[in-house]
Amino acid sequence: MNAAEKPVIVADSLIGQRIQKKDAPEKAAGKTRYIQDMVVPGMLHAKILRSARVHARILSIDTSAAKALPGVHVVITAADVPDQQPIGVARDHLPLKGERVRSLRDEIAAVAADSEEIAEAALRLIRVEYEDLPIVAGPEDAIKPGAPLIHPAPLDAEGRPKTLPPKTPVAFAGKADNVAMRFDYTHGDLAAAEAESDVVVEDTFQLHYVTHCCMGVSGVIAEFDASGNLLMYSNTQVPFLHKREFAEYLDIDPARVRIIQPPIGGGFGSKLDIYPFEVICIFLARAAKRPVKMVFTREEEFLASPTRQPVLLTLRSGCRKDGTLTFRQVHTLHDNGAYTSWGATTPFVMMQTFSSLYRVPACDYHTTVVYTNNPYAGSFRGYGNLQATFAIEQHMDMLAEKIGMDPLDFRLKNAQDAGEVTGQGMTFKSCGFKECLTTAAERSDYRRKHADNIANRNARGPVKRGIGIASMLHVGGGAKIYPSDGCGTILKLDDFANVTLITGASEIGQGSETVLSQLVCEELGLPISAVTVVNNDTAITPWDVGVHASRTTFIAGNSAIGAARMAKAKILAAAARKHDCDEASLDLRGGFVVKADSGEAVVELARLMRSLHFSDKAELVMTTFYYEPPSVHQDKGFKGDVSAAYAWATQVVEVEVDTDTGIVKMTKVTGTHDVGRVLNRLGLEGQIEGGVVMGQGYALTENLIVENGVTRNPNFRDYKLVTAPEIPEMDISFVESMDGEGPRGAKGVGEAPSICIAAAAANAIYNATGVRIFGLPFTPEAVYRALRGVTSKPHWQAWKPE
Amino acid sequence: MTTIERYAAPKSLDEALGILQQGEVTILAGGTDLMPQTRAGRIAFKPTLMNIRDVAGLSGVVLDGDALRIGALTTITEVLDDPLVKEFVPVLAEACDHFASDQIRNAGTIGGNINNASPAGDTLVPLIVLDAEVELASKPNGSVTTRCMPLAEYFTGPGRTRRAAGELLTAVRIPLPKPGHVARFYKFGTRPALDISTISIGIAGVMRDGALSDTRVAFGAVAPTPVRAKQTEAALEGRRLDQSTIEAAANAARDEVNPIDDVRATAWYRKELIHNMTKRMLDHVAQA
Repeated sequence: MNAAEKPVIVADSLIGQRIQKKDAPEKAAGKTRYIQDMVVPGMLHAKILRSARVHARILSIDTSAAKALPGVHVVITAADVPDQQPIGVARDHLPLKGERVRSLRDEIAAVAADSEEIAEAALRLIRVEYEDLPIVAGPEDAIKPGAPLIHPAPLDAEGRPKTLPPKTPVAFAGKADNVAMRFDYTHGDLAAAEAESDVVVEDTFQLHYVTHCCMGVSGVIAEFDASGNLLMYSNTQVPFLHKREFAEYLDIDPARVRIIQPPIGGGFGSKLDIYPFEVICIFLARAAKRPVKMVFTREEEFLASPTRQPVLLTLRSGCRKDGTLTFRQVHTLHDNGAYTSWGATTPFVMMQTFSSLYRVPACDYHTTVVYTNNPYAGSFRGYGNLQATFAIEQHMDMLAEKIGMDPLDFRLKNAQDAGEVTGQGMTFKSCGFKECLTTAAERSDYRRKHADNIANRNARGPVKRGIGIASMLHVGGGAKIYPSDGCGTILKLDDFANVTLITGASEIGQGSETVLSQLVCEELGLPISAVTVVNNDTAITPWDVGVHASRTTFIAGNSAIGAARMAKAKILAAAARKHDCDEASLDLRGGFVVKADSGEAVVELARLMRSLHFSDKAELVMTTFYYEPPSVHQDKGFKGDVSAAYAWATQVVEVEVDTDTGIVKMTKVTGTHDVGRVLNRLGLEGQIEGGVVMGQGYALTENLIVENGVTRNPNFRDYKLVTAPEIPEMDISFVESMDGEGPRGAKGVGEAPSICIAAAAANAIYNATGVRIFGLPFTPEAVYRALRGVTSKPHWQAWKPE
Repeated sequence: MTTIERYAAPKSLDEALGILQQGEVTILAGGTDLMPQTRAGRIAFKPTLMNIRDVAGLSGVVLDGDALRIGALTTITEVLDDPLVKEFVPVLAEACDHFASDQIRNAGTIGGNINNASPAGDTLVPLIVLDAEVELASKPNGSVTTRCMPLAEYFTGPGRTRRAAGELLTAVRIPLPKPGHVARFYKFGTRPALDISTISIGIAGVMRDGALSDTRVAFGAVAPTPVRAKQTEAALEGRRLDQSTIEAAANAARDEVNPIDDVRATAWYRKELIHNMTKRMLDHVAQA
């Protein structure tokens, strides 16, 4: 290339652009191969027999007829797996139940057969004899004195409690009461703060069951090779944690467990834990010496995948006449269901909202999580924050009304600013909260509409309009829950300057592949199409803690940038050597090494890569990076700066309430999110739109009806997801607070958009009708009853241990 | 679960009725109710499964004298899009527009919707207030005979009708509405479609000098079958449609229905909806 021909490459940035998700064409064309589509040669199909009783002793299980059915390879019960270990955060859950069933989802036996049809026929041949036990149908029943125990301690032959070694898991040792977990947090002088209050409000809020409704139902394929190494095709969101846990349950070296994730048809937190079906599938594969595939039916997905945790929540809040918040006191009762999964630990997030969303001098928080015979609760996008925000943001409106202050001004007066350290020790290095409040309010014309709607409450006509506001605080820079909150990246450039980005971060539909590619391309001056992402095989990818806590863009993004910057440094150093110039004067743009000041091309990157490779000092560009955020673990009092950054959002919801039917139509959502910085604008908008709809479902339509331990509506006919025509108009805007630690300034946003909707909808219904509703969901009948004054207000006497 | 021993796909009505006459036949048309219900164990297959989709002459909408004749195999989409339906009985098209999803409408047939005999069947309430009749064919003695029956008398319980085992529903006939005829349909739901009715209401009659005559009112999902509301009709018949008539009719409606509590709504709420929405519909008729 002579000097005259050298092109000049103009600096260009991918940041903030609208970039199509890398997996979109395949998914839109129906070509993505989910676990449902996978066929492993020689595989068997498995089905689980679940309990026919809510709470019962198992007297006998007869599998002989099932075993005799042609095409059946293996039938297992608890008796066949004496080595099974309890799963779950409290180690209270044996995958196969041998002596007692505690909920209708409980697994009693499993079959592996030549086809799903044969496996199903075999299930019908299994005979189980039960002896019914009294049902604990709700959390209030669970804490009554003399309540039946869900996990009673085993007795010896003489009926005395068995002596067991210390630290024996709950699954074997039992529990003397129905309390699964307790959380107690406090800061400030509550009594003094209450004495200073001019106004105090106290209400009980009731939050209901919903479930994730992933379009891709749960599924797994397990197989052992001839040496006893386990390979799993799994939809998990946390492959590296599971690799270790499965090894523990099987008593094998974790090095012998490999997890491959086919494209995942939705996670939303549901795939953060290990569930019985996965362990059972492994047992079947071990016994059958064949690969075994197990995929849920939709009904099974409703009955046996986790739920969001139902909560009874009593909140006391106080403020002074001038609008200064004084204190909050919270007691909650969580329905754990029969076993403990992550749902029990949502108070970690709930207490952050109470202690730190607004400045509050005193906060006293108590949760009791109790066992019942209901479905058990897992983690779900927002992780307790929807419930906490529902209560707190209604109280913000109620306090404002009591002191005669505008609800927006009241919030602005108490909102956090950058630089604040909260009572819980969270440090807000970047904080766009006030800008979120003012932007969302201005864009929605909140103040004017709020006043107009109140004035129009008694106007003619059955349909009333309302507008409501709510805000949220959530972790936006990971969450230090595990020993590490890090993520590793391996990056290589080939001879054509194509990049393979090997990351620990899983793609669950949230768009991580795209945003990580974008961050790498931004460093290396390449188009998105130059990147191939490998992210689904524990034998290849470096460690990552998993997809949760809205952490992937932040943590995996910083990790990818780290690896890309190392590659860039290596490339520029090599280019400087070859072209005899200072590497500091060079940059990467448009697939070329260029002079940074003029943009004049020095050498095409692909050509440079080949010249490095095919030389007498052959060299490849391959780098690795591990990013660990500068956050800390909480102390025993739940204090500590647990995330490297915090995300903020305000959402304004507008509704029309038909007072003849109780139908609440959500007409518009105006959302302003402090995302640090917009990376992929298209991906971000999609993430927020989806989250808003999930929040809308939580607020208005979704309701897993559980009565006396029985799920009444395990189908999409009666469990109502929001359908396309019901989705409101949306106005989504962003505050770019440029977080100093975030990748290119960005913060996490995955969970944020679903958090405020129910709270804002509650405030909007009040604005429209003057009726405040303390329980979810706002289904037509519930709203109609409230409007007619025939609803009893949720009530709960906060429970304190003796 | 019974296994299907024989599958038949007759091409002519004669052939189909012959198979039906032999007994123990499950009839398959669109399959949109039959398949989920057999899978869920609520309906058992009989030994013969007869697919009637290929039977000639059972599909389409025609003018037949002073009636509109809709063939039993006409799909919900075809009813929705049919110009004769739009011209003469637009209320039926409106009901079809609230019916399940496009996919279901493309497969499901009007005859199937009638014979599934759900108290919440979407086309049933408008058909009843339009005075529709069902046409039933059979071949008892080697030759085809046909009888007609008002749809309002056809249903005997959830999933049960007066159709005899040897009979095939071939068409539904709707008398052409008289001048001044008005008809309204309301289906309660938070979704525009894809919803099972919590309640549905059909109101029809001839509006003359501010009063309704030949009044028909029917309700869905408030009884084991879709029902005519005779007392509500009486409260309206021939009376000037003013506020007091409307209120009296709405009260009569609430009093004469006897719904149940289920997973979708309580009986109390259903009665409230019947009252409030009957009133709203009559207000709209009065204002039109």
